[in-house]
Order: sequence, then structure tokens, then C-alpha cells
Amino acid sequence: MCQWCMKHGAGGKWYLNARNYSNELAEDMNLEAYLTEQWMNFETVYIRKIMGFSSIGLGYKLKMPIIGRLLRWQAENMIHSESPNRNPVRADGHFGQVIPVEEAKIILSSLAAEPIIQNYCMCRMMQRGVKDVCCINFGALSGVIEKLPRFIPKDTRVRLGREEAVAAVEEQNRKGRVATVWFQPVPYVNAICSCEVPQCGGLRLRNDFGLNTVYKAEYVADTNPDLCQGCKACVAQCQFSAIRYSPTLKRVLVDQAKCFGCGLCRDACRFGALKLVPREEVPGLIGRY
Amino acid sequence: MARTSVTIDYSKCGNYTSGIDPRECSRCLNVCPPAIFIRHEHLTAKPKDSHDPEFWQITAVWLDLCTRCGKCVEACPLKAIKVSW
Repeated sequence: MCQWCMKHGAGGKWYLNARNYSNELAEDMNLEAYLTEQWMNFETVYIRKIMGFSSIGLGYKLKMPIIGRLLRWQAENMIHSESPNRNPVRADGHFGQVIPVEEAKIILSSLAAEPIIQNYCMCRMMQRGVKDVCCINFGALSGVIEKLPRFIPKDTRVRLGREEAVAAVEEQNRKGRVATVWFQPVPYVNAICSCEVPQCGGLRLRNDFGLNTVYKAEYVADTNPDLCQGCKACVAQCQFSAIRYSPTLKRVLVDQAKCFGCGLCRDACRFGALKLVPREEVPGLIGRY
Repeated sequence: MARTSVTIDYSKCGNYTSGIDPRECSRCLNVCPPAIFIRHEHLTAKPKDSHDPEFWQITAVWLDLCTRCGKCVEACPLKAIKVSW
């Protein structure tokens, strides 16, 4: 379990703690005003300043000798902020974790607060100019997004029943997208996204700049060498370059240090050669999210 | 490695005179392999959530990830993008 499970998990995983989905929590935190401000300005989040430094060319700035480390520290503080005066326009306190699709289904079928809506993926709109009905938001965020026309899908229904939401996230998973669950802001949970590298804002910061906007899942992929037939179907599914085919061994190899534990490779395998094992059962990966 | 700069000429792109709304065009965003461009509202835009194209522009944000492939330069119908290093 990660530090956020310790803090907000009530003894389990943070995204399986019903308290983090409750309407009372949303009211206590006065979230409607916060989320409205955040979503109205969401596209500008990557051009805002960190410690007076513009985020344009962030990778170079993070590599600067002393200032880079300060910047990284400050950016991490912003991402994980639980302070009462966090800033909504920088999306402070907004981060998430990769989850396998079965856990996304558990969340949507039993934990997510009504109403559940689907809307255009903000990241893909912002970074690809593509309108894609994909993100599933719920609880206090639904009412906020419904008032912002640019996120509202044109040809499909906005509000979803629980079964429809489960079907939607399964469909995205079949397309090859990684399910993620989000604090927004911590500790309130109100979004399940189906992300895609490189046009996901969260995974971009994690993969390219090493900022912990998205944590790896509680699981990690493991191959059974006896069952793998070397068909390479899983290799095409991996968004994190964690699987490759070895011509010498005539089977695939999983780089567990890179694996995010999303389970896409497992779903692609026709021979049952890949499975997800809990991260904590792999000695080298304990505590490495 | 030398730093890459990707400059967008805003007198051509995101301007009423060009007749092209950057939100409708977005060809550079679409064609860029590492997706370094961001389409966003001006920080000064008011009112918020405006449909006015004047308030939207495209910025190359993740310059470190640019591979200098030049696809955006070719794709831009207004010839507004320059990549240099």
C-alpha cells in the first residue's frame, strides 16, 4: 500500500474507501466552488507558473542544478497539496493511480457517488485537439462539468447508470486504454479516466518528468514462461514499454520496474500466460509506486 | 543537447484575420508524435469558458520532448510554426 492508502485508505486501498466518495466530504471541503474554478481554467494548467518559473520547457528547468530540485519539490507539493489554501487553477491536490479494469468496475458499480457522467477527455482535447467521450466523472464534479459546454458530448447521453458506466470503462479498456482513478482534490475521489500515452496530462508528467501525478497500480504483470507462445499480442498493448519480445527465448519479457500494472497485456493474452500479481509480493518492488 | 525552440507566429494563428479558429484547426496538435503542443485559453481571457476564438491559442509547452521532426511545420496551413535549435 502506498502513502495515500496509509493516510486515506482506512486500512485498505485509498480508492476503495467509501468515505473518500461521500457527499458529506464534498460538502465539508466546499468542493463545488473549487472544482468550478479548476475546470473553467483547466487548459491553462500547464502554462501557469511554478515558483515564478513558467512551465514551458519544464524538463530543462527541472534539470538545472539547484533550482531544478527546488522546482521539483515545489511541483510535488502542489500536486499533493492538502492545504486549505491550495490553488484550484493549478489543479493542486489532483493526482491519481493506475488501476486494473476490474477495480474500476468495483468503483463504478458500488462506490462512485451519483450522478455519474461521461464527458470529453480534457487531456486529449487540450493536447491533441480531439474530442473523445471517455472520462467518467461522478459525485460533486458531475454538476460542475455539466455547466461547461465544451466538455459535454454532442451525440451521446451525458448521465450514465451504473451498468452503463461499467460498460463504458470496459469498452475503453478493450480499445487499449489504461484505467486510472483520481483524487480531485485529495482526499475526495471523483473521476475514472481511460488514459493514453502520450496525450494524457498526468502520465506525461510522470513518464517524462518523473513527477508523481500518477502512481503505479497495486499490481504488476508477471509472465508464465511455460504458457507464453510468443505471439507478441501483449507487446502492442503496453503503453509504458515494459514488455518486449525476446527472439532468443521465443517468449515475451516483462520489465517489472517499468510496469504500471494496468492489466492491458493480460487481457490481450489468449493463452493465459500473463497475470497481475500484487506489487507487494515482488520483493524488488515493495513501496515503489 | 541544444535547446529546441518552437515558435508560433500569433499574428497568423489564432487571429481573426486568418479566418482559422485554432480550436477547429489543431493540425499541429494532431500531427505531433510526442504531443508537445497545448491548446488553451489566454490567461487573461474574460469571461471564462468563452466560445470566442480570440481567447484561444496554441503553445508548444513540452519543448524538451520535441524530436525536431518538422511535421508541425509541414502541417500548418498558415506557415506559422518555426522549429529551431
